[in-house]
Amino acid sequence: MGKPIRYSDDPEDFYYMDVNVPCQAACPAATNIPAYIRALFEGRYEASYAINHMANLLPGILGRICSRPCEDKCRHGEAELGRPVNICHIKRAAADLRRKDPPPEPGPLAPLGKRVAVVGAGPAGLAAAHDLATLGVAVTLYEALDKAGGMLRYGIPEFRLPREVLEEEIGYITRTGVVLRTGVRVGQEVAVEDLLKEHDAVLLAAGCYRSLRLNVAGEDLPGVYPGLEFMMQVCAGQAPALGRRVLVLGAGFTAFDCARSALRLGAEDVTICLRRTEEDLVVTKDEVIETKTEGVKIASLMLSRRILGTERVEGVEFVRTRPGEKDKEGKREILVLEGSEFALPADSVIVATGQRPEPLRITVQGKGEQVLKADPDTLSSSIQGLYVAGDYLTGPSTVIQAVGMGRRAAEKIIRDLTGRAFREKTVRMEDTEITDRKRAWDYLPRQEMPTVQPVANRFQAPGIEVETGFTAEQAREESKRCYLCYLHYEIDIKRCIYCRYCIDVAPRDCIKLVKEVQTNEAGAITGFTETTRWAEVNAIMIDNSRCIRCGECMRVCPVNCISVTRVELTERLAQGGKDHV
Amino acid sequence: MSEEHFVVIGNGPAGHHAAATLRLEAPSARITLISKEPHGCYRPHLLPKWISGHVREEALYVCPVEEYKAMAIKFRSGQRVVALNPSQRELILDHKEMLRFTGLILAVGGKPRIPEPLRNFRDVLFTLKRLEDARMWKEEMPQVDSVLMMGGDLTSLAVTKALLELGKKVYFMVNEEAFWPLRWSAGLFEEMSQRLRQRGVEVLADQRVRGITRKGDRDYEVQVGPQTVRVGMIGAFFGLMPDVRFLAGSGLRLDRGILVDEYLNTGFHGIYATGDCAQIYHPELRDYWVSVGHDNAVELGRTAALNLVGNTVKAKGAGKCIFEIQGIKVNTSWWTEF
Repeated sequence: MGKPIRYSDDPEDFYYMDVNVPCQAACPAATNIPAYIRALFEGRYEASYAINHMANLLPGILGRICSRPCEDKCRHGEAELGRPVNICHIKRAAADLRRKDPPPEPGPLAPLGKRVAVVGAGPAGLAAAHDLATLGVAVTLYEALDKAGGMLRYGIPEFRLPREVLEEEIGYITRTGVVLRTGVRVGQEVAVEDLLKEHDAVLLAAGCYRSLRLNVAGEDLPGVYPGLEFMMQVCAGQAPALGRRVLVLGAGFTAFDCARSALRLGAEDVTICLRRTEEDLVVTKDEVIETKTEGVKIASLMLSRRILGTERVEGVEFVRTRPGEKDKEGKREILVLEGSEFALPADSVIVATGQRPEPLRITVQGKGEQVLKADPDTLSSSIQGLYVAGDYLTGPSTVIQAVGMGRRAAEKIIRDLTGRAFREKTVRMEDTEITDRKRAWDYLPRQEMPTVQPVANRFQAPGIEVETGFTAEQAREESKRCYLCYLHYEIDIKRCIYCRYCIDVAPRDCIKLVKEVQTNEAGAITGFTETTRWAEVNAIMIDNSRCIRCGECMRVCPVNCISVTRVELTERLAQGGKDHV
Repeated sequence: MSEEHFVVIGNGPAGHHAAATLRLEAPSARITLISKEPHGCYRPHLLPKWISGHVREEALYVCPVEEYKAMAIKFRSGQRVVALNPSQRELILDHKEMLRFTGLILAVGGKPRIPEPLRNFRDVLFTLKRLEDARMWKEEMPQVDSVLMMGGDLTSLAVTKALLELGKKVYFMVNEEAFWPLRWSAGLFEEMSQRLRQRGVEVLADQRVRGITRKGDRDYEVQVGPQTVRVGMIGAFFGLMPDVRFLAGSGLRLDRGILVDEYLNTGFHGIYATGDCAQIYHPELRDYWVSVGHDNAVELGRTAALNLVGNTVKAKGAGKCIFEIQGIKVNTSWWTEF
């Protein structure tokens, strides 16, 4: 009989999770990816959705539009292992295939007698409001626009994110008791100072709604549109007439959404102009392929110098660029190649080079009116009880980052208001059986998301969702590819007879004869010194950062000295729930 | 043998001549030439003539495979590089072997470009880049009597000539994507269309493919603009794209191709890119360019090899009027964009 389920808050175990479950470590909301993929494989769609919802709150939405930092880190994408698991679309499959019941929520916990105002009903505000409400706080969520959703509703076109999915998942959040007040512009109709008087805390998560300007000549000519404003007009059904040739300046999701929307508005020749290269794009590969499939051209290594035209925009003058060295943050410097000026004609130009938040001026006692500033680590501002989160604090980020930060803000606020933590991260460990994954599954090709075909059918109405979703069979097939990195294989060296059968069957160099191990301050193993000399061997160890959880070692072990533990980074009520009613 | 281990990836004209130049310049170095194709270097520009039967297969090859042994070049054919770690100077091959090098020349060439809007049809489109592609054309020829040429790059003009010589009916789509790598111009468009018509080609002007329906073996119904064309085979000739996808995330600077300086250096000491996969800024063109054509590839291959062994030779700018197509002389030794 195995050991009982254990929970650990040892830094060594958190370090292990960081290194050995790279997809979850890369997710800003720490979604337990192997667990929800496994649940889907077993046909437990509701459980798969619930595991997602527990961490990221918006599985149906994120399953469509997430930037997928997890897939960049998926071990299946390592050089000799093929392509990453299609994690994002498995998430969507769970949302699509489940019974459409609201997901389970923790609690209900007893009301805490605290009131918090959250300003901005975008992903960060919604996430914070959800967490605060489910922990017993009375939350009022203020939104300047007509409906909740923020950038999800006003920045992402319907052909990527159907509005019924948005309504459904926002509904799951507001049903936790959050009072939603839309059409209220905080800072104009209601002063932050007044909110602070009426509430125990205020969280500003008002997003980034001011488009960055190019600051070049001709930018104010008719026919030049700031990207975000253009998208908001499109989403509101009030898009301007663009003409035949459209140039989109920018490289982010907004630029791509603008370009694809321009096609749906009747433009025939749409080009996205990049300062860098396609290789440097942060949008997903799928997004790039679909954008090109629809007929958008992507041109690279060009910087706009001025907008051409007299009465109206007629084109853009560019200069060629070249990539320079990388800076400390890994971002490549862009150098201008003087003398390489050239022009491209255009009937409209959309400038989607970024957004920034609307600066909020606030009266500080004794100091007069100041622009609000906050600490990105603590999310606290210089004003007692006033917190800041999401894009409003960091500048434009991704939806999953905003959700993660919104949840962190809720945690911080409740800790400051009550003096105690309500939720804690923990590493859950449970002995388990050998995986039933077949080695052949490692060679399955990645399932690609089906799309509306022929492409012309996408343009019949502006809201036709391009990606049609996995069938149950496709989703299950893709779920087989996950290595299930949350399984931890370990050799009991007291029982091992050093027969080395496991080394013989290992598909890569994941089992090592070790002379010594390196550890960090937390006691976690960070490296091995291997040896081929028997006299020096002190242990035989599985390098879990190389292990692909195939189970071959366990199957051949003649003395059953290899065990499997399911190790999961998860969240639970603080102190195991002992403090809570 | 010295400690030097030079690796050349790609055995097209650029790679082959890079390896041969390295052998001359560094007699004691270990040299490995890796090719994903299962045979020796051949002359790709002769493939249309091989299809039409004007050239025998033996004449395609630059040299017999045994010659690499004579040159003390380790030739690894049929092996594919799947990853490069330039800072560690390591390559990973698809059979999971890791190979270390002290100097590297990437001459991986191009691959046929299928525009994304047509990618759903790629299973029924015939391209012509490799010897294997030409073999497929050759096998199909006795069984088809009509061919639709899409894209219309320079290779397609040579293939069209071959098809006409074989007595096939040819439909040729001419739109602004045609005649890659030339920049489209109304004059060229008109002149080229006229010459194609004079040779009996049915020119489909200003049209795009809206759909392809497979009616049976070697029987396709293609909707081209408002009209429907029934053909036995469809050729896709949209130019070449550098075959550099496997280098994504490696740390090399990639755009359409591998970005290099005028010495063909990638920015990593001892790592060069050359031939159809290298993208270089050309001050005279005021734009980036990627070379096309056999002669350019040979020249650039030699240049990369000379620089790898310590010289500082600038890549020669593209020559003018090196191609004559359908009787029209044009500057086609480079392409700059799609």
